[in-house]
Amino acid sequence: MPKALRIVLLLAPGLGLVVGLMALVVYRAAAQSLGLYNFAGTDTLGLTHWQDLLSNHNYWGAIRWSAYVATTSSLIAVALAYPLALWLRRPFRGSTFLSAMIKAPYLVPGLVAAFLLINVISFHGFVNEFLVWTGIWQKPVRMQNDKFGYAVIGLQVWKQLPLAFLLLTGAIQSIPDPVLHAAQDLGAGMLARFRKIILPLTAKAMQAALILIFIGAAGDFSFQSIAGPTRQDSMATLMTQLQGANHNDWNGAAVVGVSLMALSLVGAVAFAGLVQLVAKLAEKAR
Amino acid sequence: MPRLQVKDVAVRFGAFDALKGVSMAVDEGSFVTLLGPSGCGKTTLLNVIAGFLPPTAGQVLIGGHDVGNVRPEARDTAMCFQSYALFPHLSVADNIAFGPRQKHHPKDETARRVAGLIEQLGLAAHRDKLPNALSGGQQQRVALARALAVQPGIVLFDEPLSNLDAKLRDQVRTEIRELQRKLGFTAVYVTHDQAEALALSDEVFLLNRGVVEQSGTPRDIYFLPRTRFVADFIGAANLHTGQIESGAMKTPFGVFRVDSADKARATLCWRPEAATLGGDLSGRVTASAFQGAYLDLFVTAENETIRLQVPGHHHIEVGETVRFGIPIGSIVQLAEDRDA
Repeated sequence: MPKALRIVLLLAPGLGLVVGLMALVVYRAAAQSLGLYNFAGTDTLGLTHWQDLLSNHNYWGAIRWSAYVATTSSLIAVALAYPLALWLRRPFRGSTFLSAMIKAPYLVPGLVAAFLLINVISFHGFVNEFLVWTGIWQKPVRMQNDKFGYAVIGLQVWKQLPLAFLLLTGAIQSIPDPVLHAAQDLGAGMLARFRKIILPLTAKAMQAALILIFIGAAGDFSFQSIAGPTRQDSMATLMTQLQGANHNDWNGAAVVGVSLMALSLVGAVAFAGLVQLVAKLAEKAR
Repeated sequence: MPRLQVKDVAVRFGAFDALKGVSMAVDEGSFVTLLGPSGCGKTTLLNVIAGFLPPTAGQVLIGGHDVGNVRPEARDTAMCFQSYALFPHLSVADNIAFGPRQKHHPKDETARRVAGLIEQLGLAAHRDKLPNALSGGQQQRVALARALAVQPGIVLFDEPLSNLDAKLRDQVRTEIRELQRKLGFTAVYVTHDQAEALALSDEVFLLNRGVVEQSGTPRDIYFLPRTRFVADFIGAANLHTGQIESGAMKTPFGVFRVDSADKARATLCWRPEAATLGGDLSGRVTASAFQGAYLDLFVTAENETIRLQVPGHHHIEVGETVRFGIPIGSIVQLAEDRDA
């Protein structure tokens, strides 16, 4: 058997399955966005559905919103994960418990997390009730569905922090102590050690964390639908709206779906570029 | 004034005393070795001097100043690590330039230092390579160059040769000593290899269980061990414990003449190479190993075994009775053992 064929056959059950399924999804969404596979009407191949949505300000608003939430959440989650990962780099009394607590949100489904947050910040939630009871506030304040998406971003950071923490902890723990001691011994303070040693050596993990969080947050449905602003759609909520019972716009929803995949790709490439830029700037600063 | 002074330094990890009141003074430009078995506290002491580990008690003075509150990055020290600890993402030249850049030396001065050290340590062909493209010996040279680039008052070496093969170890050891003599820096060198300590040092501090068991020149340590531990740890030693009466101690091998006052209980020590064939002492050879320049003999009498090293041209077989003598000047009476 030729070597190339043997390699293909060996890879087929694993990689082949992943690539095949991914290609199927992308093809299906792309074809549907071009008017095919219309479950609510006749198939018409063309760019009509794209033209409709590209002229729809809700569509552009959803893209901007999803990009904003995803970018902000990724950056904050990674920024918070770094000091935590550095702090918990070496074991100490209670570090296992702390580490477990940081990872705990990963076990809580997004919808449950959003529901719990609403319990805390809703008009008659814990915070309002407590502050009114203590007399600090005269009347409850509206915190739910804030227009800047703080609740959604907060939930995203809370939910995605464990992922960033896990990736960065692994990378930081792989830096041997003597390497950091050597840098310190040669005059590098805490910030210089982070900038010149830790950051370049963990850049790949940071890149992975940013990209994975961005993709997850860009496609968020549950946090947005429960805690997001009422007059603002994310791409996921817009997609379900278009396809939902009243609209039946399967092809329009597919356009949003393809756009979401494109946004994820653009975000991934942008973050990969950003990390490389940061690494280069750190190198220049040497 | 000594360049480095360590005064009554103690380090405790939980219930374990890693160092118990260690004191030492190191003169400017001298090469001292902290020698001892694994777990004796030598690396702990080095980390205290570098500032990576705060002592539980005691003081470290560099140039006469107490550096207890001085962070490692601000101390006049640079360390060569056992694992080299090179920055894996930086080239050889950037690794060497790291320290001067951190200390904000002018660019041309940094470049000059880097070029000089690269030349001096034979790294010219490797200046743009990453550390993982270098051999162990080359990596150790880069680590040394990186430490020297900041022109520290004291260079701390933490078993820097332990990852090299025997031949390379000898070569780099000689290079380190030559460089230290040439540049005149003060060196504190940690090793568990007694041959390395004897070959390199102006002064040896032999540590055992967190205390300095004995310090002195390599010759003093070797020829005048004060305790059983020192005698045993440095080279091979034969020890006899018994009574000294009328300038002699009776042993299963015969009577040892000693230049010492009478004592009810004393321990005598002599080195295997001090033995000469022919004499009043005797025993049966139980093992023999030809080592080229010398013949290693294990000689037994009444369940006691000693070791002799005689010139390699002698033919002595296992089972033979060998007669030997020890010059009186080669026998040392040990001070009271700490544990005795």
